[in-house]
Amino acid sequence: MENGDTKPRRAGGRLCCLCNNRRAALKRPKTLEQICRECFYEVFEEEIHQVIVDNQLFKPGERIGIGASGGKDSTVLAYVLSELNRRHNYGLDLFLLSVDEGITGYRDDSLETVKRNEVQYGLPLKIVSYKDLYGWTMDEIVKMIGLKNNCTFCGVFRRQALDRGAALLKVDKLVTGHNADDIAETVLLNILRGDVARYELLLEIEQMYCNYNRRRRANSEMQTFQNLNLICTYAYFKRLDYFSTECIYSPNAYRGFAREFIKDLERMRPRAILDIIKSGEDFRIATTTKMPEQGNCARCGYISSQKWCKACVLLEGLNRGLPKIGIGRSRGIDNDHQKEMKRSNGSKNIESKQCGTLDF
Amino acid sequence: MACNSSSGCQSGGCYKNEEDSLRDQTPTPTATGTGGGGGGGVCIKCKTNPPISTTSTSSSPLDADNSRFCFDCFRSNLYGKFRLAVTSHAMISPSDNVLLAVSGGPASRVTLQFVHEMQVRAQKNLDASREKALPVFGVGVAFVEESCVSSVSSDQVDRAVEEMRVITSNLSPPMKQFHVVPIQNVYASDPPEDAKDRFRKLLDAVTDATGKEDLLLHMRMLALQKVASENGYSRLVLGSCTSRIACHVIAATVKGQGYSLSADIQYVDSRWQVPVVLPLRDCTEQELNLLCRLDGLVLNGTLLSSWQGSLKTPQLCMNPTSGINGLVSSFVTLLKEENPSRECTIVRTAGKLTPFHFNRVPETNDCNGSSATLRRLKKYNLNTKESLSSELFCPICNSPLQSSDFLGSPKITKSVSFDAACCSSCRFQILPKDPSSLELFSLLLPQQVVGRAKNDSCGNLNLLRERIQDCLLSDSEDET
Amino acid sequence: MKLTIEFGGGLELLCDSVKIHKVNVELKNGEKKLTMKDLLAWVGSNLIKERPEMFMKGDSVRPGVLVLVNDCDWELSGQLDTTLEDEDVVVFISTLHGG
Repeated sequence: MENGDTKPRRAGGRLCCLCNNRRAALKRPKTLEQICRECFYEVFEEEIHQVIVDNQLFKPGERIGIGASGGKDSTVLAYVLSELNRRHNYGLDLFLLSVDEGITGYRDDSLETVKRNEVQYGLPLKIVSYKDLYGWTMDEIVKMIGLKNNCTFCGVFRRQALDRGAALLKVDKLVTGHNADDIAETVLLNILRGDVARYELLLEIEQMYCNYNRRRRANSEMQTFQNLNLICTYAYFKRLDYFSTECIYSPNAYRGFAREFIKDLERMRPRAILDIIKSGEDFRIATTTKMPEQGNCARCGYISSQKWCKACVLLEGLNRGLPKIGIGRSRGIDNDHQKEMKRSNGSKNIESKQCGTLDF
Repeated sequence: MACNSSSGCQSGGCYKNEEDSLRDQTPTPTATGTGGGGGGGVCIKCKTNPPISTTSTSSSPLDADNSRFCFDCFRSNLYGKFRLAVTSHAMISPSDNVLLAVSGGPASRVTLQFVHEMQVRAQKNLDASREKALPVFGVGVAFVEESCVSSVSSDQVDRAVEEMRVITSNLSPPMKQFHVVPIQNVYASDPPEDAKDRFRKLLDAVTDATGKEDLLLHMRMLALQKVASENGYSRLVLGSCTSRIACHVIAATVKGQGYSLSADIQYVDSRWQVPVVLPLRDCTEQELNLLCRLDGLVLNGTLLSSWQGSLKTPQLCMNPTSGINGLVSSFVTLLKEENPSRECTIVRTAGKLTPFHFNRVPETNDCNGSSATLRRLKKYNLNTKESLSSELFCPICNSPLQSSDFLGSPKITKSVSFDAACCSSCRFQILPKDPSSLELFSLLLPQQVVGRAKNDSCGNLNLLRERIQDCLLSDSEDET
Repeated sequence: MKLTIEFGGGLELLCDSVKIHKVNVELKNGEKKLTMKDLLAWVGSNLIKERPEMFMKGDSVRPGVLVLVNDCDWELSGQLDTTLEDEDVVVFISTLHGG
């Protein structure tokens, strides 16, 4: 009996549902099919390819910046994208773009990973730093404002830094590697902090990858985001070189709760993550919450729906020693403009979302 | 209250302005700060009586905000929230006959108490005015008895029912009729024993633990609707409190029911034959527990003790113990410990979603005073003109379906299979996967449910096409 | 029983930043086979040096930790009941860290 239990696994276990040839290595959360490693690569890469094709994300000859943090998501993205570019002749010029927030013991290490990736994938790398752009490192900012709200600064600055880096590289589009878990987490966190309307905007920005080319979401969106487990498995199987440490300034108890909750859910019902994303997309949000109009910041010229962009507002506060400026909602400042302000604040905050580090 | 201190309520207080104006003496943040610190002193509202925190030793940290009030002020605050919900959403009008679903837990116990008090006041007014123009609304109480699927012994159930009957009869005059509703009553025509058996089989056919819980919930609603309409009630009152609703918000999101979510969490839900109202939507579990404790409201001891730890809980919005619902409920508890106002933030967030046209009291019901009602409804931003009264519903959970649910199931244009008429969530967690067990399962379902499916899918195909068309149109409009 | 145990995705930080551990796990008295459940307990008390709660929850791994036995997701081999054999490779990867 004992032998019977172990034998099938030894002898190859169950065969892959797709090729019926090799030993299955994992279960697809979406379909619960058991598939082998090779078919997994194939399915994983082709899904991303399909998203790119269906959404016409790229045109031949375009210069594409890949937001690279050194973490698993962006590493997998960089790898898969350069693979697909070769395989399907996208005709793209790919670049790695990293932001150096100036966090000792976190970003400096992860940047080393990106530098290795530059060599491994043969993609040119550009690093933009907060210090150069704003005159402040995150270490200095945290020293000044403490651990509360620091993620707001970081998020706003990073979003803009990526865009400025994109401009420096003269890329047409910017690609970021958000995964399904991040998005599901965002949906939940928005509910927990009282914000549903943010979500739609968030999707636009994160999914469209491209600030200059916002387009409507396509129907195939469910497939856009790869499941986090798959990303990790892929990265492991492919022996991709990625960096994995939590940002040392990352706070917020309930964010941790939400992440753990999602993991618990996934264990109980793998499709729950995709269901959360579906819910987030299906929420009946009043049509009055329109996309804010785009203009340019009067100070730095960066796109903004306000007179000054959020980064400039925050920076002004820092430089004047009043870091509270620009943080949180505008309640109490000006009741007449409260609604308007709130909306624009919301949209600003969304722009700041990067790689799962939601500001709060 | 709880919100003054928290970071969870960035955009506006936890309570709507209308409520603040009712509780006009709501403490300002400064008053809260000074009143709370010392622990001694007086109630922060009336400034005369000692606060609960000093009179009662047993209040938990979660009650910190409430316990700064004296008992009278706390109670009138809570009653005020209830009354505001009832009046501003026209939940109960004088000609109504309301059926209250009770479970034996604190939420439904408080509802019963409050509805009773409201009824007594209405009676007093009537007696004083001597004009018989406005009758006093009638109240009935229903308890869904689920012994056929729970592990509780019939002896215990009998005792519980008796306790509930006594509680109800003590709350008179005015007299309240008490109904015991066996869950298997969802089968109209079957003899009792067959019905029990069939119901058991129905639940057993669901393999997913969460799906089983949810199906029981839907069946409970069906049983309540049945007893309400058979006995001429015009409203069904549920004791769903903020905490329960917060759990539902998260659970529905997790189950992919984002579209229909906003239908379930409004004060009024008239997609049912007998409209459902939730007057305790703004009261939290802690407040209700505190009131029960301080007010000496007798809870159903038998029920509480016997159901504890067993899978089947008595409440209508059940206190889940396993599966997704259980996970969600412990998640919300965790959040609440970190920040007590989190659950009201969750409900407020979900409240921002656009409600459905049926989330208000149907107009045909009562012509008197309807202009006032309309005015009030407007205040709550409920668009009464929304003409899309032709929503399609999932036959099992009665959730409004969205067009992508149909688009995703090409079957619907050809054959009318039962699963095609259901929402994707029920399809996944309740319906059996293979066709033959699905067939069996639909035979076990109450006739009403199956009928709902048939009506929906046959009669409304055109409607469906229209709706899809509509969606496509509105989509392209959005594209700017 | 000789096993190779590998930590990734940040979990290596819990065991002195060593990623690959070649270990020899003694079977308990009277036991004939080693299951993942036994191995987890062993890893928890022998390899994990700090913050065990980042690795274990109850008697299983914390949700968000991937487990591969011989490059095969342990969901396919019975999770905690997976029986291990000599020279098996067990990999733990945390999915929770970093973006």
